[in-house]
Amino acid sequence: MDFSTILKTVGILAAVSAGLSVIISIAESVLNNYGECELDVNNGKRLLKVKGGSSLLSLLASEKIFIPSACGGKATCGLCKVAVLDGGGPLLLTEEPYISQEERAQHMRLSCQVKVKGNMKLLIPEDLFNIREFVCELVEMEDMTYDIKRLRMKLPPGQTIEFKAGQFVQFYSKPYGKVKEEAFRAYSISSKASEKDHIELLIRLVPNGIVTNYVHTALNVGDAVKMSGPYGDFYLRGNCEELIMIAGGSGLAPIRSLVYDVIEKGLPHRMRFFFGANTLRDLYYMDEFRQIEKDYPQFTFIPCLAFPKPEDNWDGVSGFVTVALQEQVDSAQGKEAYLCGSPGMLDACIKILHDKGFDDQAIFFDKF
Amino acid sequence: MAPNISPLIIFIASIFTSNMILNNFLGMCSYLSVSTEYKTATGLGMAVTLVLVLTTAINWLVYTFIIVPPELYYLQYIIFIMVIAALVQILEMGMDRYMPDLHAKLGIFLPLITVNCAILGVTLFMVIRHYNFIQSVLFSLGSGLGWWLAINMLAAIREKLASAKLPPGVKGPALSFIITGIMAMAFIGFSGIFTIQ
Amino acid sequence: MAAEKIGANFKRNMFTENQVLRAILGICSSLAVTNTMKNSLVMGLGVAFVTGLSSLTLSAMRNVIPHRVRMLVQTLVIAAYVIFVDLLLQAYMPDISKQLGPYVGLIITNCIIMGRAEAYAQSNPPIPAMWDGFFAGLGYTMILMIISLIREVLGFGTVFGFNVNFVGFETWTIMIMPPAAFFIIGSMIWFISARAAKKAARQAK
Repeated sequence: MDFSTILKTVGILAAVSAGLSVIISIAESVLNNYGECELDVNNGKRLLKVKGGSSLLSLLASEKIFIPSACGGKATCGLCKVAVLDGGGPLLLTEEPYISQEERAQHMRLSCQVKVKGNMKLLIPEDLFNIREFVCELVEMEDMTYDIKRLRMKLPPGQTIEFKAGQFVQFYSKPYGKVKEEAFRAYSISSKASEKDHIELLIRLVPNGIVTNYVHTALNVGDAVKMSGPYGDFYLRGNCEELIMIAGGSGLAPIRSLVYDVIEKGLPHRMRFFFGANTLRDLYYMDEFRQIEKDYPQFTFIPCLAFPKPEDNWDGVSGFVTVALQEQVDSAQGKEAYLCGSPGMLDACIKILHDKGFDDQAIFFDKF
Repeated sequence: MAPNISPLIIFIASIFTSNMILNNFLGMCSYLSVSTEYKTATGLGMAVTLVLVLTTAINWLVYTFIIVPPELYYLQYIIFIMVIAALVQILEMGMDRYMPDLHAKLGIFLPLITVNCAILGVTLFMVIRHYNFIQSVLFSLGSGLGWWLAINMLAAIREKLASAKLPPGVKGPALSFIITGIMAMAFIGFSGIFTIQ
Repeated sequence: MAAEKIGANFKRNMFTENQVLRAILGICSSLAVTNTMKNSLVMGLGVAFVTGLSSLTLSAMRNVIPHRVRMLVQTLVIAAYVIFVDLLLQAYMPDISKQLGPYVGLIITNCIIMGRAEAYAQSNPPIPAMWDGFFAGLGYTMILMIISLIREVLGFGTVFGFNVNFVGFETWTIMIMPPAAFFIIGSMIWFISARAAKKAARQAK
């Protein structure tokens, strides 16, 4: 093997690679350098000075304004909408499926797709200003069922969380095992809204789920947990006499928070909670809800077991939640419905509610 | 060394008689997946043409001045592909900065194009046929336009067929191939003009 | 995750998830070289070889490659093996190398190899990854052989260069031209998709 050939090959390859890398770096610093940009938020309420060249979503997050996002900036969830009044450039092809015609008239954009290249004027909903990032300590972790864990987290001293019962937080997992990066997913808060220095979440193990596996295998009591929130449109409206609440699996979380909220605030609403599970071992918080039933006659608990076995001695409703819903809810008069569960369950229940005369304005849901 | 063919003839031939898709089967993956809508097909066609001309021109320079002198022909694949990847990245940044409207339309296609076999293919054809600089530029321009033409035709036909009733299993790639075959047959009618391969 | 058995790996790559007919990958070269069976065989084995070795190498390196340069490293590894195959062909089978032309170099951009690297080699140990890559390439080769059989017999009247046209059949020139390749592969995909759809419908009942 000719030594000079080897030298030539390696030399030229290295030179070309190095040359290209240098060219790309120079191009990046020249072309992608948009200098310092000023973001005017909500007509001067906040003026942010940021370094241009990144997405609006990430730059706002670096300034501690957390716009909700479920897909991590891939333009597949449509949650990160912000009104860009000036400086946003034309609407991108990737944003088009998520911005309706009315929203376009309001200058709505997907903040994960808009690149900050100069000064901008933005309108961000007030709620989002209340969103904070918390690094809490995990103080309790309990197995509620074979696949659902309850996590209780304590906020750092002096910090509190202001949330409406039913809202959710973004929960961050750390790198573990084969997973090299941080990931985040949304979980509804199951603790009482009155308890402002603790947060409780119900997390169900999803096969191959990055964050749920982190919680079920790598997380330990005493660990630090990062969360941001509160987010979400799922909270009590209450322009009615009765609340029909429907949940399955870990969807119970926001409903629990809502129930306690009504009771603690002394609101007059009657509540009927239909909780659906497939087998006996999927049920949890049974004693707690039965106790609430006893203490507060305005609340009725209707657990439904889809596949009861004879040895379960199940005397409650047998079948899917839809069965109980169909039989026990007579009309939509004076009622609002709150649902949280899997898309299949939600679609089936919403159809029944529509049949019974429920308006879309009286139905609130959190699909996961 | 360069063949004695007028660059203009190369240009026209590369659109009609040596069409990248219909004769050389290059760039099929994105051709099949992006041809469902006419608007996006046009966007991709434009992006492919732009990238083709730039990369072929630069690869010609790289070949002539970096590969040929030290006779490192066996390294050409690696070097070409690195140049293509780097170029696409810089193009995307430049477009975003100076032509944001264009970037809004074409931007998402650019990373897809890096692995499009048509780009590397045109460069390799240029090398095999020993084209000079002008011939290479017109060859790549024509190839890009030919590719654009083919994907636009397929998108137009597929949009029309979107509501047609079809036998099971044929919708999707199978149908696209059959349509493309018919288009290829039609283009054979042009082969009387002139051929370059 | 338990390592996939080699038999299951083989069956999956050759039939149920055949890269050409089911995943619609690797089309460019499938159509270009299938005018003779000899070219198809050489190309197919070349792809199988490159895919197998690339998957092996990338799988062995999967825990040390930083995330940001993943695609670049994959491309470089694949390019290296392709150069090797190309030089081998130029040295030992120069006529075939000339006939295949740039399509050997285009193996680098063949979506099958990148696809297997991303889908399998990333998250599986080296030896199963190597088999997965190799069998994916073999599945590709099988399809190429079928297409080229049809094209060569009907277009030239030969099989691997040996005359089989004993009935004086007038060969169909179109078979060796691009349109035929499109029609043949389109029909094959149609057939397989229709069968899969029927099977799914039967199972749903």
